Amino acid sequence: MARLEINSVSKAFGAARPADGLSLAVEPGEIVAVFGPSGSGKTVLLRMIAGMFEPDDGDITVGGRSVVGAPPERRGIGMAFQNFALFPHMTARDNIASGLRAGGNEVASRVAAISKLLKIEHVLGHTPRELSNGQKQRTALARALIGNPDVLLLDDPLRNVDAKLRYEMRLELPNLLRRGTAAVLYVTQDYREAMAIADRIAVLIDGRLAQVATPADIYAQPASVAIARLFGDPTINLAEVSPVAEHGMLSAMVAGARMRVGAADGLASLGACWLGVRPEDLVVSSASADDAIPARILAITPMHEKAVLLLRLADGTEWLAALPPDAPQGAADDGVFVRFAPDAAMLFDRATGLRIGPSHRLKAA
Amino acid sequence: MSMVQLLQTNAQAAPAKPRPRVRLLPYLLSLPALLVCVAILVPFVTAAVYSLQRYRLNLPYLRGFIGAGNYIDFLTDPAFWNTLQISITYTAVTVVVELLLGLGIALLLRRPTRFHNAVSIMLLLPLMTAPAIAALMWKLMTNPSFGILSYFVGLFGVTDFKWASDPSTALFTVVLVDVWVYTPFIMILLLAGLRSLPRQPFEAAALDGVPASFVFFRITLPMLAPYIITASLFRLLDSIQQFDIIYAMTQGGPGDRLMVFQVQAYLEFFQYTNVGRSAALLMILWLITNILSNIFIKNWLRLRARAHGHA
Amino acid sequence: MEHSSLAGRIFRGVALSLILIFFMFPIVWIFLMSFQNNDQILRIPPRILFEPTLANYEALISGQLRTAAGNLQISFMRNLFNSVVLSSAAVLLALLLGVPAAYAFARFKFRLGETIAFTLLSFRFAPPLLVLLPLSLYYQELGLNDTYFGIVWVYQLIALPLILWIVRGYFEDISPDIEHAYRLAGHSWREAFTRIAVPLAGPGIAAAGLLSFIFCWNNFVFALILASADKQPVTVGALAFVTASGIQYGQIAAAIVLSVTPTLLLALYAQRYLVEGLSLGAVKG
Repeated sequence: MARLEINSVSKAFGAARPADGLSLAVEPGEIVAVFGPSGSGKTVLLRMIAGMFEPDDGDITVGGRSVVGAPPERRGIGMAFQNFALFPHMTARDNIASGLRAGGNEVASRVAAISKLLKIEHVLGHTPRELSNGQKQRTALARALIGNPDVLLLDDPLRNVDAKLRYEMRLELPNLLRRGTAAVLYVTQDYREAMAIADRIAVLIDGRLAQVATPADIYAQPASVAIARLFGDPTINLAEVSPVAEHGMLSAMVAGARMRVGAADGLASLGACWLGVRPEDLVVSSASADDAIPARILAITPMHEKAVLLLRLADGTEWLAALPPDAPQGAADDGVFVRFAPDAAMLFDRATGLRIGPSHRLKAA
Repeated sequence: MSMVQLLQTNAQAAPAKPRPRVRLLPYLLSLPALLVCVAILVPFVTAAVYSLQRYRLNLPYLRGFIGAGNYIDFLTDPAFWNTLQISITYTAVTVVVELLLGLGIALLLRRPTRFHNAVSIMLLLPLMTAPAIAALMWKLMTNPSFGILSYFVGLFGVTDFKWASDPSTALFTVVLVDVWVYTPFIMILLLAGLRSLPRQPFEAAALDGVPASFVFFRITLPMLAPYIITASLFRLLDSIQQFDIIYAMTQGGPGDRLMVFQVQAYLEFFQYTNVGRSAALLMILWLITNILSNIFIKNWLRLRARAHGHA
Repeated sequence: MEHSSLAGRIFRGVALSLILIFFMFPIVWIFLMSFQNNDQILRIPPRILFEPTLANYEALISGQLRTAAGNLQISFMRNLFNSVVLSSAAVLLALLLGVPAAYAFARFKFRLGETIAFTLLSFRFAPPLLVLLPLSLYYQELGLNDTYFGIVWVYQLIALPLILWIVRGYFEDISPDIEHAYRLAGHSWREAFTRIAVPLAGPGIAAAGLLSFIFCWNNFVFALILASADKQPVTVGALAFVTASGIQYGQIAAAIVLSVTPTLLLALYAQRYLVEGLSLGAVKG
C-alpha cells in the first residue's frame, strides 16, 4: 500500500518544457488517467516516475519515500509500454517471469495465475514475434502486474491494438487494475478510454495539469475551453458572445437570436466570452420560437447510436448537433431552429479560456 | 482555488531534494577506449614534434629543433616532388579504374538472382586476401621466367615484358594488383546501394518507356551518389596511403619509381634513420588524409543514418 | 530496364565471364601451383593437367626446406601460429574494450563519448606509420618491442573502430524501452546489459569480431615494424620466406595458400555481414 505523490516536478529539454511544475497524488488502488494531446508531456511524466530520466526540479515519492535519484529497479514500479517492449529473445513465459526475483515453483504458479487472468496461457511458449498484437499487449501487462508493484504505470497500452480488442480491454482493465492495491497512472490520448477506465482524470496540456477531476466532473464542468474541446465527440460547439443580465438571467445574441445562457447571479454583464454547448444538448426542430437560432441543415451523418447534424447558423457559424437516431431530423438543406437549455450553456472567458462557473460569477459580484 | 493550485502550494512547502547524481557509468565504460585513444594520440603528437626536429637515429648528438626546416627542405627536394606525384598518380588511377569497374560489375549483378549472389560472394575473395599476400601471388604470376601472365603476353607477341621490374610498367603492375584486391570493395558497396534504392522511379520510367541511358544518368546515378561518394572517398583515403602492395612487390622500386608516401617514410626511418624527415613526410600525408576524411565522415554519417532508418 | 535482347544477354554473359576469370584466376592458379614441384612450374607452356604433389606442404609443415644450397630451417608454421594468436587476442581485447564503450556511446549521449568515437574513426584513416614509427621508439623504451602484447595493443587501431561503430549501430537499434522494462522488473544495469543488450546485439558483435579478425590477420605493416622473426604473422613471414627460399616457387605458393585460407573461409562464413563491416557500419547488406 503506497501512495504516489508528484510534487512540483519540472523537466526541460532545451527549449521544450514537457513538465512545468506538475503536482499530482495517486492513492493506493486508485486509477488516475493522464490525458492530453500528443506532445503534452504525458510520457515524460511517466518516464520520470519510472526513473528513465530525473526531474530538473521537484520530488516524486512512493509511500512517502522519495524515489528521485534511485535506480529504476529499486522504485517498486511496474510499467507497460506503448510499444510493449517485450524481450524478443525470450518466450512469453520468460518475459512475464522476468519480473519475479523468487525462484522455483512460486514463479511457475504466479505466472500461471496471471496468464490465466489475462487469457494468454496457451501462448506462454511463444516468442514475441509469434504473438499477435493483442497477445503482446496482454503479455506486457502480465509482466507489469506480476510483481505486485506499488505503482503501476501504463503508457497508452491500447494504442497499438485493433479497435475490437481495445473495446474489450477497456471493459476488462479497470477490474484487472483494481485487483491489487497499486496506485495506477494510466496515460492515454483517447478521452473515452480515460473516462471508461479512470477514477480521476488529470488533463495535461503543455507540461501543466489543467484540471484533475472525476470523469463526470471534467465532462460537465471543464476548467477551460481547451479541456471542453478535448472531451466529447463530436466536439463542443462554440460561439463568440457578450452576455448581459436580464431578469436575473444572462442572455446573449447567438446568430441573431437572443439565447438564455444561465443565471446572472447579480451580474450586469460578462464581457467577451466563448459560449460552449455540447452537441447532444442541442434541440433541433422545424418550429420557430423566440429562443431558437435559425439554421440550415448542411448534412446528416447517421451513426449507430445517434445522428450527427451539421448545421449552418444564420450568421454562418457551423455547429454540430447529436440527436437520438429516432428523433425527427429533417433532411439536408431544410431550414430548422436550434435551442438549448440555459443550464447546458458553458461560458468561458475569451481572453484566458477559463470557464466562468457559477462560483466565479458570485465572486466577481 | 482549484485542486491543482492547492497541491502546488503544498509542494512549495516541501524541502527541495539535492539534485542529480553525476552519471559516472558512461565514463567508466568508455575508459578503456579512451586509453586506446591516448595511446594513438601520444605517438601522433610525438610525430608532429619529431617533424620539427633534426633527428637522425645514427647521429643522436645532432638532434635539435629546426622549426619548419624539414618541410622547407622538401620544397627544393626532387625526391619529395617525385613522392607526391607518384602518390597522386597511383591514387587517381586506382580509384578511377576501381570505381568504373566496380560500378559496372555492380550494375551487372544488380538483380538478386542466385547466380549473381554467388558471383558477388566469389568476388569478395580477393578483397579478403591480405594485400601483401596478394602482391606475392601476382609476383609469382608475373615472374619473367615462368609466370603465367608473362606466358600469356608472350602469346600475343610481347616478349621480355618485365612487369614490376621495369620502370615503365611497374606502376601498371601494382595498379593491377590494387585493382584486383579493391575493386570488389567498391562493387559490394555500390551493389548494396543499388539494391536498396526504391523501385518506384524505375518502374515508372519503364512504364513511360524512358530510354535506358536517361534512366541511368538521371535516376540511377543521382540516387546512388551517396554510396559512390562514400566508397570513392574510402578508397581515396586508403589508396593514397598504400604501403602493403607496393612494399611487398617492389619496396618502392625499381629505383624510386614507386616511392609513395608511406614507403618513402618507411625507408627514411629504417634505411636512412632520418626520423625528422620521415615524420615531416607523414605529417604532410596526414594533412591530406585529414581533409579527405573530414569530407568522408560527413557522407559516411549520412549513409549510416539511412541504414539505421533515422534519416 | 533489364536488357532481355539476345545481344544484351550475350554481352552480360561475356562481361561476367571476363570478370570472374580476372578475379578468380590468380587464386585458382596459385592453388594449383602449390601442388606442383619446381620442374612442373617451370615448364613452358604451362599445363593445367599435372601429377599433384604434397611435397610443398610437407616441407612447410615439417619446417625442413630442401634447396639447391642444402637444407634450410623455416619457421612458416610459427608465423601461422603467431597470426592465430595475435589476431584472436586482438579481437578478444577489442571486444572486451569495445562492446561496453559502444554501449555507452549508443545509450548515453555525452561529449567525451562522441570525441572518442570520432577520434578512433578519424585515425582509422590516418597514415598508420605516423603512429607506428614514434610508437616503435616508445616500445623500445618500454620493452614492448617484439612482444605479443605490444602487437595486440596496436592491432586495437584496426579492431576497435570497427567494433565500436558496428556494435554501436546494433545497440542503437535496440529500443531503450526494452532495457527499461527489464530494469523496472527489478534488474540492475549490469543485468540489463548482459541479458538484454548483449544478446540482442549478438549478431552484430559476432560480425564485428569476425571482421576484425580478418583485418588483423591481413595486416602487414604493424608487425613489419614492431615484430621480429619469432613474433611475425604470416603476412610478414611470407615475404621473408620468399627472400629466404629463393626459387622454391611451389613452397611459396603453398605458403600463400596456407596464409589466405583462414580468412577466405571466415569471409565466406561471414559474407552476410561483410558489407556492413567494410563500410564500418554505414551500409547494411
